[in-house]
Amino acid sequence: MGLFSPWFLAALAGLGLPLYLHLLKRQTARPKQVSSLMLYESRTQASTRHRKLRYFLLLSLRLAVLLLLIVAFANPFVNRNAATFTSNRLVLVIVDNSFSMRAAARLADAKQAALGVLAGKGAARGQVAAFGSQLQFLTQAIEDQAALRAAVESIQPGDGHGNFGELARAVRALAPSVHTPIELHLFSDMQRSALAGNFSDMALPANVQFIPHAVATRPEPNWTVEAVDAPGQVWGKDARPVHVRAVIAGFHTPAAQRIASLVVNGKATATKPVAVPANGRAAVDFPALEVPYGFNRCEVKIDSADAFPADDQHHFAVERSDPQKALLVHNYGDSRSPLYIGAALSAAAQSAFLLESINANEAADRTPSNYAFIILSDLNTVPALLENSLASYVRAGGSLFIAAGTSAGARLQIPIFGARIAETRDYSRIPDRFMTVGSSDSSFPAVAKAEGWPGVKFFYALAVDPGDARVIVRLSDQTPVLLEKRIGEGRVVLFTSGLDNLTNDFPLNPAFVPFIEQTARYLSGSQRQGGARVVDAYLELRNAREQGQGVEVTGPEGKRPLTLKEAASAQSIQLTEAGYYQLRLANGRQNLVGVNPDPKESNLDVIPADVMALWQGKSNSGTQEASAPGAPPPRTTPESLWWYVMLFVFAAAIAESVLASRYLGTQREES
Amino acid sequence: MLQRFLKPSVLAAISGLELVAKTVVDGFVAGLHRSPDFGFSQEFAEYQAYTPGDDLRHVDWNVFARTERMYLKRYRGETNSPLTILLDASNSMQFTSHGVSKMDYARYLSASLFYLALHGQRDAAGLITFDDEIRNYVRPSTRQGQLHRLLAALEQAEARARTNFAKPARYFQEFLKRRGIVLIVSDFWESPESVVATLEPLRLNGNEVVLFHVLDPEDVRPSLDGPSILVDLETNEQLETTPDFAKKEYRSKVDAHIADLRDRAQAAGLGYCLLITDRPLDDALREYLTLRGGRN
Repeated sequence: MGLFSPWFLAALAGLGLPLYLHLLKRQTARPKQVSSLMLYESRTQASTRHRKLRYFLLLSLRLAVLLLLIVAFANPFVNRNAATFTSNRLVLVIVDNSFSMRAAARLADAKQAALGVLAGKGAARGQVAAFGSQLQFLTQAIEDQAALRAAVESIQPGDGHGNFGELARAVRALAPSVHTPIELHLFSDMQRSALAGNFSDMALPANVQFIPHAVATRPEPNWTVEAVDAPGQVWGKDARPVHVRAVIAGFHTPAAQRIASLVVNGKATATKPVAVPANGRAAVDFPALEVPYGFNRCEVKIDSADAFPADDQHHFAVERSDPQKALLVHNYGDSRSPLYIGAALSAAAQSAFLLESINANEAADRTPSNYAFIILSDLNTVPALLENSLASYVRAGGSLFIAAGTSAGARLQIPIFGARIAETRDYSRIPDRFMTVGSSDSSFPAVAKAEGWPGVKFFYALAVDPGDARVIVRLSDQTPVLLEKRIGEGRVVLFTSGLDNLTNDFPLNPAFVPFIEQTARYLSGSQRQGGARVVDAYLELRNAREQGQGVEVTGPEGKRPLTLKEAASAQSIQLTEAGYYQLRLANGRQNLVGVNPDPKESNLDVIPADVMALWQGKSNSGTQEASAPGAPPPRTTPESLWWYVMLFVFAAAIAESVLASRYLGTQREES
Repeated sequence: MLQRFLKPSVLAAISGLELVAKTVVDGFVAGLHRSPDFGFSQEFAEYQAYTPGDDLRHVDWNVFARTERMYLKRYRGETNSPLTILLDASNSMQFTSHGVSKMDYARYLSASLFYLALHGQRDAAGLITFDDEIRNYVRPSTRQGQLHRLLAALEQAEARARTNFAKPARYFQEFLKRRGIVLIVSDFWESPESVVATLEPLRLNGNEVVLFHVLDPEDVRPSLDGPSILVDLETNEQLETTPDFAKKEYRSKVDAHIADLRDRAQAAGLGYCLLITDRPLDDALREYLTLRGGRN
């Protein structure tokens, strides 16, 4: 017996109030004048004595009402054996359908065991959920045995990566809304890789009794294609052969030779034996990936020799297309910028872009949408016609690179990008005569590949107000030198210095070529094309929310996972299945991505028994012992008595009302 | 029609005791139709044969001269019997339950009797107000303005202190040397025995004594809403009692008290007249005059 809120007992001091009032109110007769008391005699009415007695009863009832109310607020509870009210518990059946459950007959075994627990739950309420990367409830808390069984039967294997931390978080969120004890039955292969990074993330609430049912008790040997390194795009029919490297991993396996195959559009184009060491990894190279024009569904497969064939292939997509055209608009007479940019683009490993250099006067009759991206280099003036067409081009999904140079110093703001120019900074006048990079955002690929532009000397830059633009690189004096801004569906990258080797020495720096190459890939969108993703990753569908143009997504099974409303407004999609997703994005571009399960799912190692016991809150009992259904160990659970106390309050209040109206009503003299 | 003006509550609305008295007496006279019993004066009653030992002063010598027989002339009273009203002005007289206090009622009654005596009979009239002392004394007289003096004395009579007949009674003899009619107006909240014992000597001196027992309806039939604390107007004593007692025992006790006072008074040769303050004044006058007529 105890109190959840004992501090409410301080209100017991209020019991003095009715006592005080009853003592004060006992005599209420008012004096009345008479001519003489000669003939009167003192009388205490017999009923007055009775009324005092009844007053005492009334006082007792009032004190009882107050006392019980205070006790109700203090919320008393008693510790009761949870086993005494097992019918009042919620049996929560969770079946793991993560990717590793596809191994052997694990999922079928788990469902069978779950049906066994449901059959033995008696009159208790049950709820069924499937657990992949997230906990998905398939029923409400119901007693309908048939519905619960049907829900278990309907669980299908998934491709997600299980995380017991996520499971515990979902159960913790559920527990406060369930006012009865929860008997949590988890049917899983208890994969070690599903453990949360922090063990405290897997803590379960006090009213949850965790009963694991492991369908696998020991690690099983498994080979898998762990990773594939292949480009997402190849350009031109004469492009150099594309090199594909795959990593074959074995978990708890002996040393063995596996046969790896490169499959393009369902046809094996190359086969290679690979010797995989015991419990180790081996790489296999396919030197020439020949793919036809368009999107190609490629995969690396190994021959199946274990109980988990689902992870023996790795999907990826490769697009072959003609080199894309890029437009460089520069000042008349400026030959440096085309030289450096063109050299950088052609020096890149794959000549994916054909650079066309023109001066500003020639740009008016060009159609921007014909180019993958456009570079404006150090323009004195941007003709209004060009500016308008470029703005429309960007909003529709085009990309623009603006090198401000020295000419923009006379302007108030950068055209199209919209940033206000605060001042020009000529570093040739400071003692060191140049400024270096202070900080850079390495998550931006063009900077990451160029390793942060070490040693680049800047002699001149514009100080612009970034506004809502993303600042990628700042100089040592915090002047933004590289910024990115999304306008409509397109992107604009602003370089506040020049590309002409006059305002800086960047074009001569080794970081220049990777910077130009990655920027070109980034702006053309080829970086996002093709390739491979992991299940549960998100794929960006559109830039701006206000764009109403619909997207089309076709899943691995040929179904469209998005509703019409989602297709018109969703900014991203979660890739929940392994296979190939075909997309038509909001900017009109097509894409194909290969989606693979998380490689961690291929490691079928199980959670050690001691860790499992620790998770259960026990010190030394095995998982299997705990998995006997329907026999929860004795434990006490606090049961609140609030409701019963309130019933007493109600009864006492009614009795008080009856007594008060009966005894304190106006007394009338009989006529 | 005039009857309704004689209700105490109506009289209370009339300012001026003279007007009250005139209203009462005129209305009363109009309703009497020349009653043979009207008047205070002591008139010739009969002749009685002289017997030795009788007072020779009462012998009718004119009859003796004509008949040579001695007759005693008997009168109903003195021709000029002074009327003296002893008015109780103690605190209990100011009690009221319906707008007219016992003191007001006593004033109206006294004023009416004075008016009747002075204007009707041309008898002398006087007033003594008392509580536990003699508070005021207006000598009986028929002089011009006597009525105004009496009425002024009535106006000034304020209820205060407590009744004590024994203390002022010994002074009554000094003021009442001349035989006459003595009317005592009081609520007589004392034991009937002591009241009669105190006032009986007045009658023994040859006065005609009448007790006007003025009571409020609440004095006779009190009503209580519940157990109450009662406060004595004269002594300020407090006492708790119940509606049941007031309804049953008290009523029987007050009836016994009234009957005892009446019986003792009549036994001692004192006139007794019970006046409840919700009773019309002409009724009270009629009862009194009827009482006097019966006595003569």
